[in-house]
Amino acid sequence: MVWVLKRVGVAVLLVAIVVSIVCLAIRLVPGDPATLLLSQGGVAPDPAAVAQLRHQLGLDQPLLVQYLASLRGILHGDLGQSLQDGSSVAGQILQRLPRTLELIGVAAVLALATGLPSGLAAGLRPGGLFDRAAGLAAALGQAVPVFVVGTGLVLIFAQTLRWLPAGGYVSFAEDPVRNMELVAMPAVTIAFGLFSVVFRMTRASVLDIARRDFVRAARAKGLARRHLLLRHVLRNALVPVVTVVALNLGTLLGGTVLVEYVFNYPGLSGMLVQAVDARDYPEVQGIVLVISVLFVSLNLAVELIYAALDPRVRRA
Amino acid sequence: MRTLRLGPVVGVAAIALVAVAVPVLPLSNPTAMDIMHRLAPPSAAHWLGQDGYGRDVLSRLLWGARSSLGVAVAAAGLACVIGTGLGLIGGYLGRGAEFLTMRSMDIVLCFPPLVLALLVITLLGPGTATLIPLLALVYLPGFVRVAYAGVLSVRNQNYVEAMRVLGAGRARIMLRTILPNIGGPILVQFSLAIAAAILLESGLSFLGLGVVPPAPSWGGMIAAARATMAQAPLLLLWPCLALSGTVLLFNALCDAVRDAVDPQRVPRRRGAARVLDALAPGLVAAGGPVLDLCGLTIEIDTPAGTVCPVRDVSLQVHSGEILAVVGESGSGKSLSGLALMGLLPPAARVAAGAAWIEGQEVLRLDEAALRRIRGRRVAMIFQDPHHSLDPVHRIGAQVAEAIRAHRPVSARAARSQAVELLRQVGISDPERRAAAFPHELSGGMLQRVMIAIGIANGPRLLIADEVTTALDVTIQAQVIALLADLRRARGMGLLLITHNLALVSEVADRIAVMYAGEIVEQGSAAALLARPLHPYTQALLRSAPGEDGSLPEAIQGTVPSPQARPAGCAFAPRCTYRRPDCETAPPPLVDAGGEHLTRCIRWYEVAASVRSAETVA
Repeated sequence: MVWVLKRVGVAVLLVAIVVSIVCLAIRLVPGDPATLLLSQGGVAPDPAAVAQLRHQLGLDQPLLVQYLASLRGILHGDLGQSLQDGSSVAGQILQRLPRTLELIGVAAVLALATGLPSGLAAGLRPGGLFDRAAGLAAALGQAVPVFVVGTGLVLIFAQTLRWLPAGGYVSFAEDPVRNMELVAMPAVTIAFGLFSVVFRMTRASVLDIARRDFVRAARAKGLARRHLLLRHVLRNALVPVVTVVALNLGTLLGGTVLVEYVFNYPGLSGMLVQAVDARDYPEVQGIVLVISVLFVSLNLAVELIYAALDPRVRRA
Repeated sequence: MRTLRLGPVVGVAAIALVAVAVPVLPLSNPTAMDIMHRLAPPSAAHWLGQDGYGRDVLSRLLWGARSSLGVAVAAAGLACVIGTGLGLIGGYLGRGAEFLTMRSMDIVLCFPPLVLALLVITLLGPGTATLIPLLALVYLPGFVRVAYAGVLSVRNQNYVEAMRVLGAGRARIMLRTILPNIGGPILVQFSLAIAAAILLESGLSFLGLGVVPPAPSWGGMIAAARATMAQAPLLLLWPCLALSGTVLLFNALCDAVRDAVDPQRVPRRRGAARVLDALAPGLVAAGGPVLDLCGLTIEIDTPAGTVCPVRDVSLQVHSGEILAVVGESGSGKSLSGLALMGLLPPAARVAAGAAWIEGQEVLRLDEAALRRIRGRRVAMIFQDPHHSLDPVHRIGAQVAEAIRAHRPVSARAARSQAVELLRQVGISDPERRAAAFPHELSGGMLQRVMIAIGIANGPRLLIADEVTTALDVTIQAQVIALLADLRRARGMGLLLITHNLALVSEVADRIAVMYAGEIVEQGSAAALLARPLHPYTQALLRSAPGEDGSLPEAIQGTVPSPQARPAGCAFAPRCTYRRPDCETAPPPLVDAGGEHLTRCIRWYEVAASVRSAETVA
């Protein structure tokens, strides 16, 4: 219990530091950030606009005042207004976050459903035909960038075969079939890269566990092969796999940027790219904040799950 | 360091060479537009055709390699130097520095890489000048952690201690001793970082936020080709191939480097067929002993050829009897036990012999039939109880699982039987212990649990392989006594494998002494201990502390490795009775009377020397 509290404490501290960094980053920029944000193609911006932006971002106030004002806003769920249309950043994020989560969730299920069994099969017969074939697929999944995979899928399934729409989004509640059609390609794209991670980790982990003394001792009991593989080998091999997958899911919170861009998917990270393009600092700041906080919370969850899976950790 | 696989090295070197040589190659200007020939197919002047602005694709592809690799290598190099430095400082300079470096890296790791990149780019604007320090920051924590972990593992080793004692300064110790030792992992991290940096850079350039157009970059080329993908799909193909191929090569290089610097790498195992002949009919022993092992020979394939760690071993164990198999490590006694269970490691195989357990031959069984025998007719307990229990399951469940593997009982019944078994092996408060995890019990307690698992299905033969080696001396005798009691109560045969002759001398009915894969002496415990007929047994007895307080005498030399077996008697090089004819031919196992076997051609003199020693005493 003390251990859990300690982990939670560290996570809260990290969140506080992250929030502070994101709030103060704009002050670290050399020169006047307002001028910089409004500069387009080397043309000097209108001084009145600069002054207004400085006021809106709180840059005309002392550092501490601006910082405390931002913190107060964040605690009240207010992430400021978009520079583009003045809409609430928090509202926009709330609308888009579930779409990105849906994408990541479907991708994770696909990657686990393929990566776990193939990793187990490959790890049990290292050097075999299946191991080599799956290993090659995993090497490709690691090396081919997501935007290449995504573009290739669009070229084949949307442009040439015309089986699936090239991009867009319809919510599941509105039209479940259309929603699945639209999520399929981006989710497969992400799952391909994630499959490599799951496969490699499962394979390495199974190879390691299968060599352990307790597996030999379990075999000496005369356990059925299925029972041995599921209850002892896979169960122990899962611990590092779960950790790595969960950490990768965290990275995906921001890593879907490219996929959302390719498939014109209106998720959170698509919004981020748009905001970066428009140099809409309040939006960028809000999104980075939300993603990083989710990321830290996820890491905390991973540590707690890890403890649940491996009884030895709880004692430490 | 082992040899590095050449393929990835050559591939990466070729790409690097192209990237370096691009300015001197006879290529068209990569940014010169030619709108008249936009999307032109490949021609003599433009080998890969022209893009949407009529620019030469080949030239842009090669210049793209230069910018991608340039950014990635510069960023990874920067991260490597700074990160390794920080890691060394954090690992070596004590608490404060350690806290600062490691915690600040934790903060960097709070941001997903692409998100961090986008935040910085919003503030600083895109371009190479932003990209390199940015990517360096993203990959910094990896280097810091690798270097830090390396220092921690090296820091307290003897040679570093030795340098400190010799008065070497800290900086000198870090540079001269620690850095070379963590070089391997850092190299792996470096190639990883380059591959990852290429991916991240191309992704940002694809979004138009990395290398700024019109400067050529692979990500930018792919983004541009997407717009014309319907008319000219080939334009998409080249940069995709170049990018994916390069990352693939860097990943392969990474694996190659990792394999080359990993000291624990094992050579790939060879598939080995079972070479054992079918048994001739009429050899089946019926009624007799619980275990009848005849002429067991085990072979192992090694890179240097096939070796025989066990040769022509024959043993018998009767019900209710304890046979102790004694020998130094490497004598082949554990392999013999594993062979009986069908649990030999993959590289080893039974080459000859037969083993009957209650009349059933077991060396020729397939895995399914072996599974029915293991744990039911013959059970085995292993050396290290800490590692022999699955760490993630409770004790009771692991005992119950052994019961349910062979008997159709309900989970509830198996659990209560498991508690009863734990009580039988002398575990106090068995209900509570059954709910414990293995790490919560002591070694002696865990070995009792292993014994409970072993006897769970009332096996006729129990093989105990060095079961006391990992335990405290005070616990050792208790465990042996428990085994002896269980054997008596249940009438099972017990094969006690050990290197400790003194430990088993009180409980064993018979003793077989193994040396270099062979049985060198076998007989009743009383006869063998009182009148050893092989010089090795004599030496073993002398190597144990005497009851009268006399000092133990070490045996000179070591067991010959299976690769370097002497032509004659395997013990001859260490033997004080050695004569020239000992080294010409391997001696046979001869019966010296009363089923007392010895593999010494001079056993009579050995026996005489014991007698004369007694007379003198």
